[in-house]
Amino acid sequence: MIVVDIISCVLLAVGLFFSFVGVLGLIRMPDVYGRLQASTCIPTMGNICLIIGGVVHAIGYGMDTATVVKLLVIMLMILCTNPISNHSLLKGAYNGGIKPVREMVMDDYKEDQPTYKEGETK
Amino acid sequence: MKDKKFSAWLSTFIFCFLFWLLLTWSVALREVLVGLAVSAVVAAFSARFLIQKDAFYMYHPVRLITLVFYLVVIFMWEVIKANISMAAIVLSPNLKNYKPGIIRVPAADKPSSAYGMALLSNCITLTPGTITMEVAEDKHGNNHYYIHWIDVTETNRFKAGDIIKGTMEKWIGRIWA
Repeated sequence: MIVVDIISCVLLAVGLFFSFVGVLGLIRMPDVYGRLQASTCIPTMGNICLIIGGVVHAIGYGMDTATVVKLLVIMLMILCTNPISNHSLLKGAYNGGIKPVREMVMDDYKEDQPTYKEGETK
Repeated sequence: MKDKKFSAWLSTFIFCFLFWLLLTWSVALREVLVGLAVSAVVAAFSARFLIQKDAFYMYHPVRLITLVFYLVVIFMWEVIKANISMAAIVLSPNLKNYKPGIIRVPAADKPSSAYGMALLSNCITLTPGTITMEVAEDKHGNNHYYIHWIDVTETNRFKAGDIIKGTMEKWIGRIWA
């Protein structure tokens, strides 16, 4: 039992550390682009480590299998939905004309102006 | 055409029903009957969004095992590396003078289907430090990813593509081609 406690506590600590990094980045970064990039730490490493820690705890203490499966489904849901919102937020901020505080080194999107044709599948 | 519609419905129905069983995690008769009804209705409405060509493409053991291996090993390794470098940027004093930029990365031949390119874009977005803005085709017919990169360390587009995509593109190419 002590081994289970140690493993799940280490995983929870790693997850909390990366969630802390994400929140700190949200405060410290100067503009919306940096904030979006830094906050991606929370749904990846934070989410995965916290949920795996919960799974280890649930298995070690002999809980119901449904608990483990539901935890994994929650993790999968967050991993599936996060990139879509992140992508559309960044693209919306860029197309809305928000200037980055730190000057971009290169901006291929502005040079090329790629146009997306509606209803076209490749 | 009629037959194709039915196979699309059937494959979406099986997927929905398996997901229902996973969520409820019980095989009581009442639960299974409600699950069958709900999956049938949901599949009737959503089959045309999920299925484009081959309805039973993913019901293939080698592809499923490759997908699970990719998600658990290859993708997790990329995520861990990117998280550590992101933590180094955020925790450093003066934010390490990072250099943001939007870079155009050429796509390889292999994942050229819509599903493969969507999965690769989402995986790139999920690794901290890179967010895909657009997947577009130029006038020569080659696909390009437009990626916002928090710290541009390489301005050569091919080398930058190797750094950003790593081995992920090769593995997705084996699943969706």
